[in-house]
Parts: sequence; C-alpha cells; structure tokens
Amino acid sequence: MNMKQLFPRGHVMGFIFSMVLTAVALGVVVYELSFKTGMIVLLVTAFMQAGVQLVMFMHAGESEDKKAIYTNVYYALFIALVTIFGTLLTMIWGYQ
Amino acid sequence: MKIDNSLPLEYSTEENRLKILGFWIFLGAEIALFATLFATYFTLVDRTANGPVGGDIFEVTPVLIETILLLTSSFTIGLGINAMRHGSKNAMMIFFIITLALGAGFLGTEIYEFKHYVHIGAGLQVSAFTSILLTLLGTHGAHVTLGLFWGTFIVLQVKKRGLTPETTNKAFIYSLYWHFLDVVWIFIFSFVYLKGMM
Amino acid sequence: MDYFDRFAVPHSSPMIVGSQIAIAVTVLAILVGVTYFKKWGYLWREWFTTVDHKRIGIMYILAALLMLFRGGADALLMRAQTAIPDNGLLDGQHYNEIFTTHGVVMILFMAMPFIIGLMNIVTPLQIGARDVAFPRLNAVSFWLFFWGAMLFNISFVVGGSPDAGWTAYFPLASVEFSESVGMNYYAIAIQIAGIGTLMTGINFIVTILKMRAPGMTLMKMPMFTWSILITNLIIVFAFPVLTVALALMTMDRMFGTNFFTMANGGSDMLWANLFWIWGHPEVYIVILPAFGIYSEIISTFARRNLYGYKSMVVSMVAISVLSFVVWAHHFFTMGHGAMVNGIFSVTTMAIAVPTGIKIFNWLFTLWRGKIEFTVPMLYSLAFIPIFTIGGVTGVMLAMASADYQYHNTMFLVAHFHYVLIPGTVFSVLAGFTYWWPKIFNFQLSERIGKWAFWFIVVGFNVTFFPMFITGLDGQARRMYTYSESTGYGPLNMLSFVGALGLLLGFAFLVYNIYWSTRYAPRNVSSDPWNARSLEWATHSPVPEYNFAIVPEVDSSQAFWDSKNNGPALFKGKYKEIHMPNNSGVPFILGIIFFVWGFAMVFSMWIFAIIATLGIFACMAHRSFEKDHGHHITVEEIEETEKKLRGANA
Repeated sequence: MNMKQLFPRGHVMGFIFSMVLTAVALGVVVYELSFKTGMIVLLVTAFMQAGVQLVMFMHAGESEDKKAIYTNVYYALFIALVTIFGTLLTMIWGYQ
Repeated sequence: MKIDNSLPLEYSTEENRLKILGFWIFLGAEIALFATLFATYFTLVDRTANGPVGGDIFEVTPVLIETILLLTSSFTIGLGINAMRHGSKNAMMIFFIITLALGAGFLGTEIYEFKHYVHIGAGLQVSAFTSILLTLLGTHGAHVTLGLFWGTFIVLQVKKRGLTPETTNKAFIYSLYWHFLDVVWIFIFSFVYLKGMM
Repeated sequence: MDYFDRFAVPHSSPMIVGSQIAIAVTVLAILVGVTYFKKWGYLWREWFTTVDHKRIGIMYILAALLMLFRGGADALLMRAQTAIPDNGLLDGQHYNEIFTTHGVVMILFMAMPFIIGLMNIVTPLQIGARDVAFPRLNAVSFWLFFWGAMLFNISFVVGGSPDAGWTAYFPLASVEFSESVGMNYYAIAIQIAGIGTLMTGINFIVTILKMRAPGMTLMKMPMFTWSILITNLIIVFAFPVLTVALALMTMDRMFGTNFFTMANGGSDMLWANLFWIWGHPEVYIVILPAFGIYSEIISTFARRNLYGYKSMVVSMVAISVLSFVVWAHHFFTMGHGAMVNGIFSVTTMAIAVPTGIKIFNWLFTLWRGKIEFTVPMLYSLAFIPIFTIGGVTGVMLAMASADYQYHNTMFLVAHFHYVLIPGTVFSVLAGFTYWWPKIFNFQLSERIGKWAFWFIVVGFNVTFFPMFITGLDGQARRMYTYSESTGYGPLNMLSFVGALGLLLGFAFLVYNIYWSTRYAPRNVSSDPWNARSLEWATHSPVPEYNFAIVPEVDSSQAFWDSKNNGPALFKGKYKEIHMPNNSGVPFILGIIFFVWGFAMVFSMWIFAIIATLGIFACMAHRSFEKDHGHHITVEEIEETEKKLRGANA
C-alpha cells in the first residue's frame, strides 16, 4: 500500500476538520464569550463533529440498510433531545 | 455460507450484514443511555451544596490532552478499517494497535484526572454535582476500558486467523463502537468541560 | 453467625415463614424429581441450551404464567386485607411489600415476558424466517430475564422484599427510609432482566427489518409483526433510561452518591422524572403487541381483511413517538407551573386520537363480518368496550387541573387496571389460546375456556369498577387499611368478591391446560382456525427449521389468498438449511448474573468481583469462539416433512 492508500483524502480531511472544530470550541473559553454565544458555538461545533464521525468515519450511508440506519440515528437523536430538554423543562424551567 | 464478493469482506455474508445493522441499533440505545446521563447532569449541575462548582475544578490541559488523544484514535481506527478494506493485514493491525495505545493514553489521563478530583475534595459523595460528573465521565471511561479489551481480542484474532469475513466484521463493528465513544466524548468536552469553564 | 444474619427477613411473619418452607420444599422436590426421573440430560440438551425461538418462547410463557400466579397471590392478599375496615390480616409494612412486588412482578415479569414469549414464537413464523437474527443472543435475553426474575422473587424470603412501590419513589426508596436490602433487589434484579429485554429489542428489530420472506414489503407485514416492530423500537430507546435510573439508584443506596437524596443537592423528584421517561413508553411496550394480537384474531374470526391497514400502521408509529413525550402526566401534582402541565396534558390527550382510530378500525372489521365466537374472539370482543372505559378515564386523568382530584386515589388504580387487563392480560390469554395449537398440535378446550373467560371478565369488572367510585370518594391507593366511618367497606368487599371470581377464572385456565393436554383430540389440522397469516402455512408442531421452503408472498394475508386460489406460497425444491448451534453459555451466563446480583444486593464485594470476572470470561469466550452452525441436509428435510405430513393428513 502506498501513502495515498494508507491515508485516504476523506479520512485526513475529516481528521483536520475535527481538530479545527475542537480549536473553535476551545475558543469559547479562551475568548470568554457570553454564555449565550458560547452555547451556540458549542452546539454547532459538537453536532458538526458528530456528523463528521458519522458520515466520514462510520460510513453510515454505505450499505443497503442506509435508510434503517439513518432512521435509527434520527429516532435516537429525537429521544435524546426529548429526554434532555424534557427533563430540563420538568425539573428546572417548569417552576416559575 | 454464501459470500458476496462484490461487497467488502465485513459485509460479505448475510450474517455479517445482520450484525452490522444490529450494532447500529445498539448504538441508538447507547445514545439514549448517554442522553439520560446528560439530562441528569444538566439537572444537577448547579446543585453543588457545599462542594465545588465545575469552574473550580476543571483544568484545560488534561482535558485537551484527552480530547486530542481520542480524536486521533478515532482517525487511526478509520485508517485501520481503510487498510483492512485494501486487504492489508499488517497495516490494519498497526493502525489498530496505535488506536489502542492512544485509548490507553486517554484512560491513563482520565484516571489521573479522577485522582486529582478526589484529592481536591470533589469525590463521588460530595454533592449531587460531583456524583453525576464522575458517573457521566466514569460511564464513558468504562466504555473505553471495555473497548480496550475488545480491541485487543480483535487484534489477536486478526493476527491468528487473518482477514476473514468473521474477523473483518468484528473489526468493523468495533470501529463503529470506537467512533461512537469519540462522539460521546465530544459532547462531554463541549457541554461538561467547556460549558463549565465558560 | 453474624455474617448470615443479613439473609434474615426483617419483618417476618407466619406467612413468610410458611413461604420460606414451601419454596425450599418445592426447589428440593424439583431437584430430586428431575434427578430421579433422569431428566437433567433432556432438560439441558432440549431446553437450557436451546437457541430455537419457539422453545425460548415457550419458556418465556411458562415463566410468565408462574409469575402471574405470584403476582396474583399478592393481589388477592391486598384485596383480602382491604375487604373489611380495620383489618389485621397484614400489617402496614407487609402491605407495602405486597403492592410493590405485585406491580413489579405483573409488569416486568408477567406482562413483558408473556408478550416477548408470544413474539418469539410467532414473529419469525409470520415473516417466513427460519429463526431470529441472533439466536444465541435470544437465549441470553431469556436467561437474563429468567434469572433476574428469580432474583427478584427470592427477596421476600431472603433479606426482605422491596417496599417503596413499583415506582420506587425517592426518598421512600433511599437507605434512610427503606433500610432492608429490598430496594437493592429491586434495583439489581430489574437491571439484569432489563439488559435481556434491551437485547430482545435489538434482535427483533433486525429480524423484522432484514429477514422477511421474499415479497413481504413492510406494508405487507401482518399487523402483529408491525406491532412487534414498533414495540421493540420503543424497548430499544426506553430501556436505556431505566438502566441509568436503576444504576443511579444502586449508587445512591450502596456508594453514598447524591442523585436522589434530600441532602447535598440531590433531587428526589429527578427519580420520578427518569422513572417515567421509561415508564410511560413501557405502558405502550405492553399494550401495542396486544393491539397486534387483537388485529390478527378479529380479522381471522370475522372472516374479513383487517379494516384500515395503513391507518393502523400510522397510528402505531404515531403512538411510538407520542409515548415518549407524555411522561410528566404521572406527576402533575409535583408543583410545575401551568405551562409544563399544559404541554403534557395536551400531548397525553393527543394519544387518544391514534388509539381511537384503532378502535374504530376493529369495529369496522367486525362490521358485516361472519363472526365466530371462539375463546380468543371472546377476549377480543370484551377488550373493546372495557378498554374504552380505561381509555376514557385516562383522558379524564390527562386534564392536569382535574388530576389534582384523582391523583393517588383508587380511581387511578381502577383506570390503569382497566387499560392493562383488557389490553395486555386479555390479549395474551387470547393469543395464548389462539397460537396454542400451532405449538402443541391440539386445541385447548373451548368449553372450559369459555368458563374461564366469563369468570375472568365478570370478576375483573366486579373487582375494579367499584374502585372508580371509592376513588372519587377519596380512598387513597396503597393505604393498608381504613376506618369504618369512611364508608369504603361495602365496595371494597365487592372488590374482594370480584378478585375471588378472577381467581376462579384463572383456576379454569390452569384446569383447561391440564384437561386439554390429557383429553383434547390430537392431530388437528395445521390451520385449525382457518387463519390468514404465514404461521399457519407450516406444520404443527413447527419443525426446527420452520419452513422447508421459504415462502414467497405478495399481500398482507398471503396464506389466506393462497388458500383461496391465489398464488402458491412455496415454490421450488428443498435446499440445504443452515441452522445455529445450541449453546450452554447463555444459561451459565444467566446463573453468573444471578450470583453477581445476589452478591451486589448484599454488598458482598468479593463474590461480586468474582462474578463480574465470570461475566467477562463468558464474553471473551464468545469473542474467540468459532461457531458456524450446522446444516440440515435435503434428505433430512424430506424425512421430517414426510413424517409431519403423515401426522396431519
């Protein structure tokens, strides 16, 4: 195997991308952003990181079960968001 | 056993395809599991009683080391699977061993971090916040630990049995697990550490 | 001897001592009996090591029936205790323990395994598959459930029962208020069984998605299979929440963490929140398969295609999503503002819409059908009105402001029994009777079955309807007694009489199994009900490989069509069949989990660590094991088929 086969472009790009996203996220602390802006930056970078892993590294869309796998991931994401924000709603935000 | 040669080895039998889909669904369950831990964390994060708050105890350096180690390991295991698909057993094993070494480095740093927390008075029993912090990190750490054993088994099997439909299937599924742990870590890094230090 | 003191029951009573002796004697009798009749080898080869989905299903149902009687005994004791005012049959502590175990046993160790048992037997047959996707994992699921259930069940004779309600609310469930190991049993035993259930969920999703017969698209699946797919989807995403909640409970009780404590920042209501994030979807896990079973039975015995197939599917998908967004209605009185209660009120009421659609679909299926009143059909017909009462009272409870009146009263108890008994219990009894001949090749007696049916249906209503009234009059649930001046006496006595009726009904059920096993005519046809889906297209009893030739399908009732001059199901010749090997590891793993759980319950760390290593050893063994299954040759298939055809000629 030559270097090009050992280190395919997609993987290298994915890695660089994830490092850049980490650096951007870190900026939230370094530049002492306001809580709101900081959270927006973190949400964007975190979900982009997850997307990089899912699509570029885990090959979620490569097989005949692409539809089942994506449905599964979206359903899981829905449950995760409902669990987290629902809990915040019932445990913290719900009290005036 | 029917082997379909038009597909990569890890997808080549029906059994293999079942296992890959099954593992994806398991990862869906894992997402729900970590989401519950995160929900608990966000609920309890300000309930620090007489203990420290996140900003008091988090330090950038070890966290950054952990993040870089884990992200790099996710990259190298991806290269391992790529090498496996090119049929290069040696390259695949080297990348897997590098991955495991990086994973061990992560775990070592995390153990150091835990000892540090206990040392500065942020042990498991101090407050609701420290309880869930260490439980969330610990659950991820336990997954990594399990992954190190699992990965070692797979390297041993590939060494002994070569790249067969079975071993490549196991290695591929293992890579899904490892990438997933990386995703979880990203969320811990962002919404536990960075948010806490903000 | 101090070491052994921990195993004593803190609140012992003659009843518990009697149970201790009875359990010891029964276990001994079983061990001696099996040894005497030299059945260990048979049990090991045919049952303990099996990976066959049909046998695993039978074992699930056997265990569920056992648990039905355990939970039923608890129920009878409760009704007996409250039958008259100021009764002294049970003291407060004992009553607490009994309503706790009744709830846990009935939901987790009776309803769930009964349903999982039926889906094990039926689903692969309905989709024309040879087994489930992961047969070995299926055995692991069963043995984890079984040993988890056993661990939970020994609690009342070793160390003390859990006593904080099946919902285990904190602070009641904390070490301060529940000092015995009872709640440890709760946390650990349910955890073990829950892991098994999660694996079942993954297994059946993959089975249904990937192993359907050629031509069976998703929208041509039988309705029962659809309900199982949706159920398992809910299992996969709901059970991890319970896993976490139970783990946090374990840590609070054993390692001094502060998740749900009253001090150091803990939040007791967080437990209620997490419990119901799992708990409400759980309700749909036990009710959706019931909808599937009724759909099969109603269309079979009304001799009509199921009305509104697409709307049935859409309703179930809608329910699967909605089931995850209503949980806070279990604690409207916790003190949220109007916004939160409003949101959860609306989502809760919204669930009534898809459920109502299903009810209408069943009614339209019956409309102008040639209805045949068999036992399974009787249960299905009784289900519709009774379940509707349960549903309508549910909408009453869904109104947050009105709920302040109903909360924690017998009205609520009546409501959820009106949902779960016609929903789950009737359906599993109907399914059990319906699929029995497929498994055992003879039918249960219709005559005795009808006796059982009438006693159960009438007994049920007599037991639970009065609770709507006493609940509205203010009788609180979970109170072990009340004074005469409250006036609750007569209606509670009526409930007790109804409970005795239920007891008689279940006695008829058992007698029916005994009588039919001995006297029912053998060699009934492989399709005794003139049914519609694929499971009736193969022989009874079903051969190991299910179908000698994989069927080809082109409608949602392919078997019915092929019987009525439609296209043939089985085309082509016999081919060699690949089947999985049996394995003893799942059984052993189950036992190790039991030991691990027992050690954890009593904080015996050395044993717990050894057992943990044993669990990992089993996993490592699986990793390195080479197991390619075995093949059934064409000659063997021909021989088996000839024999089975002879039996059914």
